[in-house]
Amino acid sequence: MDRLLDKRLWVVSGKGGVGKSTVSAALALLFSSRGERTLLCEVNAKDRFGTLLESGPVGPQIVPLAGQLWAVNLQPQSALREYALMVLKFESIYKAVFENRLVSYFLRFIPSLQELVMLGKILFHVEERLPTGEPKYQRVVVDAPATGHAISFFNIPRVLINTVPPGRLAKEAKRMRDVLENPAITTAILVSLPEEMPVNETIELRAALAESARIQTDLIVLNEYVAERFSEREIEALSAIRSLQRAAIQHREQALSSSRFRHRLLEALGLPVATVPRLFTYPIGRQAVESVARTLEPALEAPG
Amino acid sequence: MSDREANSQPDSSPLAQALAQRRVLVCVGAGGVGKTTVAASLALCKAVQGQGALVCTIDPARRLANSLGLKELGNAETRIAPEQLASAGLPPSSPLFAMMLDMKRTWDEFIERHAPPSRKERILNNRFYRSLSSVLAGSQEYIALEELWQLRMHRDYRLIVLDTPPAAHAKDFLDAPNRILDFLDNDAAKWLLGPALTAGKFGLHLFGSGSGYVAKTLAKLTGAETLEDLADFMLAMSSMNESFRQRARQVRALLASDETAFVLVTTPQLERLEEAVDFHTELQQNHMAVAAVIVNRVTAAPSRADWKSASKLEGPLRQKIEQTLRENEAMAAEDAQSIARLKADCHPTPLVSVPKLVKDIHDLNGLWSLAQLLVPAGEAPGRTLESV
Repeated sequence: MDRLLDKRLWVVSGKGGVGKSTVSAALALLFSSRGERTLLCEVNAKDRFGTLLESGPVGPQIVPLAGQLWAVNLQPQSALREYALMVLKFESIYKAVFENRLVSYFLRFIPSLQELVMLGKILFHVEERLPTGEPKYQRVVVDAPATGHAISFFNIPRVLINTVPPGRLAKEAKRMRDVLENPAITTAILVSLPEEMPVNETIELRAALAESARIQTDLIVLNEYVAERFSEREIEALSAIRSLQRAAIQHREQALSSSRFRHRLLEALGLPVATVPRLFTYPIGRQAVESVARTLEPALEAPG
Repeated sequence: MSDREANSQPDSSPLAQALAQRRVLVCVGAGGVGKTTVAASLALCKAVQGQGALVCTIDPARRLANSLGLKELGNAETRIAPEQLASAGLPPSSPLFAMMLDMKRTWDEFIERHAPPSRKERILNNRFYRSLSSVLAGSQEYIALEELWQLRMHRDYRLIVLDTPPAAHAKDFLDAPNRILDFLDNDAAKWLLGPALTAGKFGLHLFGSGSGYVAKTLAKLTGAETLEDLADFMLAMSSMNESFRQRARQVRALLASDETAFVLVTTPQLERLEEAVDFHTELQQNHMAVAAVIVNRVTAAPSRADWKSASKLEGPLRQKIEQTLRENEAMAAEDAQSIARLKADCHPTPLVSVPKLVKDIHDLNGLWSLAQLLVPAGEAPGRTLESV
């Protein structure tokens, strides 16, 4: 089996609002702190890394954040431009064609071209080499879209292979599919919460990624995990003080469902589940991300 | 006033009003905020009043089915079984219906209805059409609106609650019909594909025409055949432009009419906040009625009495309780800050905050307890239930 830490493309997904960005940032921070050149990618989202890592804003151009860490917020327009320039080679042709108002209007409707060029840019950086032949980025971490969109996002190469006739687009799509399907290169990390629906979605997402996009999931991160604090006896002891007892019961309920959902994930998926405790520091910034990174580290060392 | 609203117990609940006055409620918001459960709860509330209510989701993740205790939900409207309702202590005859949109089938039905018979086969077999829902931006949103319109015209539910795909922008949703129209009928397409479109057939014309240079360069990127297939598809669909245009107008009119209101759902997390405010602004700019902004999963702050009683405890139990109160206080302070900002930025739309529930909602019982928080008991005629 491929070792988790040998993989280079880390796709982080899960239900909306489960903490994908925080986990992505933590992974990237962890890799870069080990001295590995790391690129952290957001996909056409509101920039969160600027806040999470307390750096400057992250836009469509790759920016160095610190030491060995770089980040980019992929935007379809600029990714398309880069792709077109790569194919066309000449800026002047690009301008004549793509900055034509009518053409850019039309381009919006080439199926999934926007997603394709963003995915293409990610995979380009995975394969990009330094003059020495080493990978330019040893790790690429993608804060991927949420469940439903993640499935269609990573399915695009397959959809295109079936949709477009042979040609440049189809060739690109095949290359992308090969990288995504290769478990020695690509791994999906799914983030979940100890709640019914996020857990159901995690189970479905893992199956969908495996069946349609053929991306292998290697690790589940169960975020906002509440460890048991109050025993039954302690809760009984609080029976005279109703509102405190309610707080204790609520805590215990959360702890119970945390452990129940952890087991459910373990059973349904047969994958390691790393738990990350809920954080109470606001706003969630660099310090919090660092603590998540420390929590995740042991899970990554385990064999894939 | 603000305290009462924070407890979601205002004098006249905005959602009770919306349930009484509107025929269509559209639940919008980002992913993971509880939109689907809110949509189902609102429909349940209406159904328990004895009036036919349908909740319609386009969410492929089967969330709605889960919370209604159904294994799976299909494209057809399904009535929630009396036994199911009875086991949650609700009137078994409550006319509650649910459905999940099947994109492909709804599109096929649309083509069946509107395409001229001679073109049907050609459209249904086109490669672009066959992957339409996965490749055409906005098609999910469009088809949800199409279905909403069909349901509103041809069924007699007192209330239809539409749960929408997660979106960061209202325009993703409101503009969906226009985007389909853009696709079928825009200047660029006419110019680029003009000769072929007017000739009624497509072939090498594209690359022999005056726009040849641009078309060739585009083709270099996408492959010439991709463009030809696309043009062929557009040509086959062009006969339906008028249907699309008419429907876009009708849908827009339905959304803007007095019988429709939006319900914007969010959670107090900072990263959701700005999205919610933007969404609200866009809806207002488009003259859409917003019945309420629902702030879901709000943590209540511990009271002074809680701290006092905690200080009388001893040993590890005291430490544990105090730590729990500190954590709740940190979360509550964070939430209160968000709510204050939301309230100011979404003025004058009423805010309804829903406290975090002890248990996650995944069945009718849970939906009903949420319904009571959204529409306080006494406001909703019909039965009320002691705490679940």
